[in-house]
Amino acid sequence: MRRAWLVATTTYRQRVRSGTFLLLTFGIPVLMVIAGAIPFIMERRAELPRVGYVDETDQFAPLEAITVDDEMLHLVSYAEVGAAAQAFAGGDIDGYLVIPKDYFEGGRPAFHGERSPGRDLRIGLSQFMREALLPEAPGWQRARLGNPSEVMFASTATGERVAPGPGLIFRIATPAFLALVFVFTVMTTTDQMGSAVVQEKEQRAMEMVITSLSPRELVTGKVLGMTLLTLTQIGVWLLGAAAGLTLALFGALRLEDLTIPWFAVLWAVLLGIPGYFLYAVLAAGLGIIAGDKQQARQLAGMLGFLGMSPLFFMGLIIDNLDGVLGVGLTLFPMTAPVIALFRMLLTEVPTWQLGAGLAVLIATLAASIWFVARVFRAAMLMYGQALRPRDILRALRQS
Amino acid sequence: MNGTVALDVREVSKTYATVRAVDNLSFRVHQGEIFGLLGPNGAGKTTTIRMALDIIKPNAGEISVLGGPMTEEKKSRIGYLPEERGLYDDMTLLDTLLFLGQLKGLSRQTARQRAETYLREVELWDAHDRKIEALSQGMNQKAQFVAGTMHEPELLIVDEPFSGLDPVNTRIIKDLLLRMRDQGTAIVMSTHQMHRVEEMCERILLIDRGKQVLYGPLDDVRTRFATNTVAVDLTGPLDEVPGVERLTPHNGGYHMTLKEGVQPEVLLRTLVNMPEVTVQRFERVQASLEDIFVQVVGREVAWDDEVEPT
Repeated sequence: MRRAWLVATTTYRQRVRSGTFLLLTFGIPVLMVIAGAIPFIMERRAELPRVGYVDETDQFAPLEAITVDDEMLHLVSYAEVGAAAQAFAGGDIDGYLVIPKDYFEGGRPAFHGERSPGRDLRIGLSQFMREALLPEAPGWQRARLGNPSEVMFASTATGERVAPGPGLIFRIATPAFLALVFVFTVMTTTDQMGSAVVQEKEQRAMEMVITSLSPRELVTGKVLGMTLLTLTQIGVWLLGAAAGLTLALFGALRLEDLTIPWFAVLWAVLLGIPGYFLYAVLAAGLGIIAGDKQQARQLAGMLGFLGMSPLFFMGLIIDNLDGVLGVGLTLFPMTAPVIALFRMLLTEVPTWQLGAGLAVLIATLAASIWFVARVFRAAMLMYGQALRPRDILRALRQS
Repeated sequence: MNGTVALDVREVSKTYATVRAVDNLSFRVHQGEIFGLLGPNGAGKTTTIRMALDIIKPNAGEISVLGGPMTEEKKSRIGYLPEERGLYDDMTLLDTLLFLGQLKGLSRQTARQRAETYLREVELWDAHDRKIEALSQGMNQKAQFVAGTMHEPELLIVDEPFSGLDPVNTRIIKDLLLRMRDQGTAIVMSTHQMHRVEEMCERILLIDRGKQVLYGPLDDVRTRFATNTVAVDLTGPLDEVPGVERLTPHNGGYHMTLKEGVQPEVLLRTLVNMPEVTVQRFERVQASLEDIFVQVVGREVAWDDEVEPT
């Protein structure tokens, strides 16, 4: 294991320093953060505009200004829409709000302006309407009326507490998100793994290395090294995505609202880890079978496509969540991690199905390691040549 | 050479599809000797080496390495310089040696010390922080030699160790191999450079088409295949010499091919007794290994770089 770990750390160090890796790993999160920060920065810089309003219901008390987060929102009342439009055209106001006659029957107020109102202006307009509707009510009452009936669901069965809004979306989306991360990780790994292994052949280093350790140690080391590399990349990307999302949703998402579906996370880990290693080991096997880097990438692409294939079945599975296809793909090792998580999103997946899927996955992984180590021995010295199916069969027979 | 057997190959055969690459081959290599493994293109040398190193498995026969079957632990006591040269292009020379040295069981610190010592010895230390891809062919060759020997193995197998080296670097590698031999390392040297074998090896195995052709101490082989030609340097007139079939001028002297049944001692006596002739040098011309091979297998062969079936 010491030698496998040495191969892993050397593979990791060798690749983590490459310019392409650094650019790809840190460039994407920087873009994510910038994308998330742009609206936030623009919002913070903008001062509250001077806004007109037209009250067609005649039920709102006239107000000239209100305070929003220590800033003044100046308001100008107009009797009719035409006057407000003229003032806007003349530059007296930056936009105007029209409260329609049927407001109390469900009609929607409309904001007229060059740009959509930002977050602070939306809060300001909402606050203005509460204050103008209930001018006599105390401030605390008007504040509470801003969000009077957000209901938290407390499950009597599990004791779990689920808040509505972004927190609830987070809870529902987590399995889907984890499944997509899995697919993305598998696609990244298969591509890099194939290249890393075929490189050993292309650079003729294999014969020297293989007299120092067993093919199994070499495969294990390569898989571990590439796993560390992929985890680094995905980790940095997730941090970037989290930072970008936090900036983009600044204020809308409160940590106490987040409800983590631990059951789904647990199965994501249990199925995801062996599932990931299964793809990584098979990618290593394809890398050694390939004659050159280009062929390795083609073969890895096919494997990555297989990793993505569960997404193509989603429509059929959603139609019948507990049907033969859904259960079958939950038990099939190549699709189990993704399909199980997606089914968890929409239905309660029986634990026996998840357990059986895990057992099949682990057995397949063990068989794959055995198979790939033998193919490795047969193919490692075939410089510049791909292994033909009959060579693979012979290698298995001789082992 | 001492009596300890480092590599014992017994009746080993290997077949690739329909090609019998190695056929019932047996030989032993002892600690403290340089053993020459010789043969023309496709003779089965590399296949034999790969079987000895457990890279490929024989179909029949047994191989004992350092006293028993190959184990993972023993891999750290064996060094190998393959004919197919290659290191990691995008790693620095020092990092490569640290990695390969540690794979052979050295601690990082020891690997660092040994790498520096050996690199200085082969005059490569100045390039230790260069990437492998930036090294010349000769530098790469020496780097690979250091990678295969820095863990100071008990058994070293070198496949064409001098190919691609200039005379100065050839001398450096040759001296290192001789020193390792003197320190007790068993060295198997596969090469097609016959003069290197004649210079460095005590014993040889000559193979052709996977089969043993000649095996044993080099001197014995030469004696068995001694020629009936003598090299003579002398002064004085020389027209015809009794007992000599052909007289050929050679490097200022003569090569004299004896008539059948005539012994060199008789010729020497004849020459010494000739008036006005002074013999300055008289020695039997030894057959080259290449000549011996042709004599044994009865055909001319190509001795350039071989390509093995895999």
